[in-house]
Amino acid sequence: MGVHVHVFAALVRKAVKSSGMPSARQAFVPTPLMNTSSTGLREYVEGNDPIHGRPFMAEVFDQLTRPVPDGELRGEGWDRSTPRYVEAESEEDMHALFQERHYTDFLPIVLPTEERVERMLTGTSHASDEMVGKLRPTIGMEYWHFDVERVAVNAVMAGAAPEHFPVILALASSGDTGRQSSMSSMGNMVLVNGPIRHEIGMNCGIGALGPYNYANSAIGRAFGLLSQNLQGGSVPGDTYNGSQGCNFSYNCITFAENEEASPWEPYHVQFGYDKDESAVTVSYIWGSVWAEYLRTFWEEKLQAMICGLEPGMGCTLVLDPIVAREFCERGLDTKEKLARWIHENARIPQRRFWDHVMLNLIHEEVEAGVEPWASYWNAQPDELIPVFETNRINIVVAGGETNGHFSIFMGSPMRAKFRTNKGKNATVSIDAWR
Amino acid sequence: MAKFRVLNPEGYPPGVTARGMAPSLDTLDGKKLFLVDVGFANSDNFMAQLHGWFEDHRPEIRTEIVRWRNQHIPDPELCERIQADGDAAIIGVGT
Repeated sequence: MGVHVHVFAALVRKAVKSSGMPSARQAFVPTPLMNTSSTGLREYVEGNDPIHGRPFMAEVFDQLTRPVPDGELRGEGWDRSTPRYVEAESEEDMHALFQERHYTDFLPIVLPTEERVERMLTGTSHASDEMVGKLRPTIGMEYWHFDVERVAVNAVMAGAAPEHFPVILALASSGDTGRQSSMSSMGNMVLVNGPIRHEIGMNCGIGALGPYNYANSAIGRAFGLLSQNLQGGSVPGDTYNGSQGCNFSYNCITFAENEEASPWEPYHVQFGYDKDESAVTVSYIWGSVWAEYLRTFWEEKLQAMICGLEPGMGCTLVLDPIVAREFCERGLDTKEKLARWIHENARIPQRRFWDHVMLNLIHEEVEAGVEPWASYWNAQPDELIPVFETNRINIVVAGGETNGHFSIFMGSPMRAKFRTNKGKNATVSIDAWR
Repeated sequence: MAKFRVLNPEGYPPGVTARGMAPSLDTLDGKKLFLVDVGFANSDNFMAQLHGWFEDHRPEIRTEIVRWRNQHIPDPELCERIQADGDAAIIGVGT
């Protein structure tokens, strides 16, 4: 039988039903579990199951010994399908139905009529019934699959144009969701590189990360909507369990790199693409800190900014071109040198490095002796540990040079496995979806 | 007859195949329960408290705490051991 915190009761019901065992045995304890003392946890054990409304231990004994009817023992399977069409009495009713079914982000959408979807499909050479990929809200949940047409439906809803569609298809194919159901409420960052930035008029200059450009806005919104609808939902308490939610999710921080003003190679070129190819990268992002210029004590400030982030999950520096050039003037004239400087200089004590959820995430690797985690685990409590490995330090140039500002976002692409420091980067081809 | 029709934005869910459950035990007396810590934060401490409850109140029920190696993936070797050596397992805590 399973034991869960009570806020996940709806999620548990959904998960066991979709796994073919709707009667699987469960008991619940209160929330939170994390940071609750041993005494508090013992009170959970001796207290009531908040979902079933009776003592937790009575529930445990009952679940394990109560006879289960033969039908329930066999489990339950059924055919699920999502019909091609949605019908309503009127356009107004359809908008209401889309909100009721959590198909939207609760802002007005463009209803995906056949005519509009057909027009969106002109933005790609791929057949409407070609399978694009699979998505799920989080690890452990089931994957849903989707084809080009279903991606186009969501692109229409977001207000996108056909010329945006190859970028949107690339995002859909990435395997990364724009509606991740982590309790930590992460959002996303979508970075577009290559010629398509100018072909579709994306903004990489003044206000690049803000709501000042059609392509940036529509592509980011489309990524969010397609994620929630194609993965089987993003409904609070059910398929979404971020405790606070993330405002980044409205647009997934979608922008283009200012490759022309950058002193460095474009981001996608770092990962094997030619600069004349177009590619998009999805990162998972939790928050950001901001600073201006590299002033007198820039090293101290940069160290403090990095050391204030949670370790392990990576960071993404988004630098105005002015700041990128300032780093070059200080000898950090490649992205690799800047990442190396951060790795070597931004360090925290071993005791604080491990005082974090990542201990749970890489427990297996520590036990198996995977480096650098094993050495970091075996270090003395006051020994200084790099906050991030170099492959988790991402550097991007964007902005219009109105001033020398920069932000450091906590988070990075997740497909480069931080557990093992191996694996492909999450940059995917846009050209493949033209 | 519906007056307004649009295309469905949802993806294609997987089919659901029935999966059988283990029958219930007649009693827990004299049985061996594995308390499986799946590795989420503080799950180990919760299982320790659960283990303590059994020792204090129902010592005739044998319990052993074990840890799932990866919190997101079932541990096949551990599952085999539980099937071979145990009568039931309590797995948690899902957070």
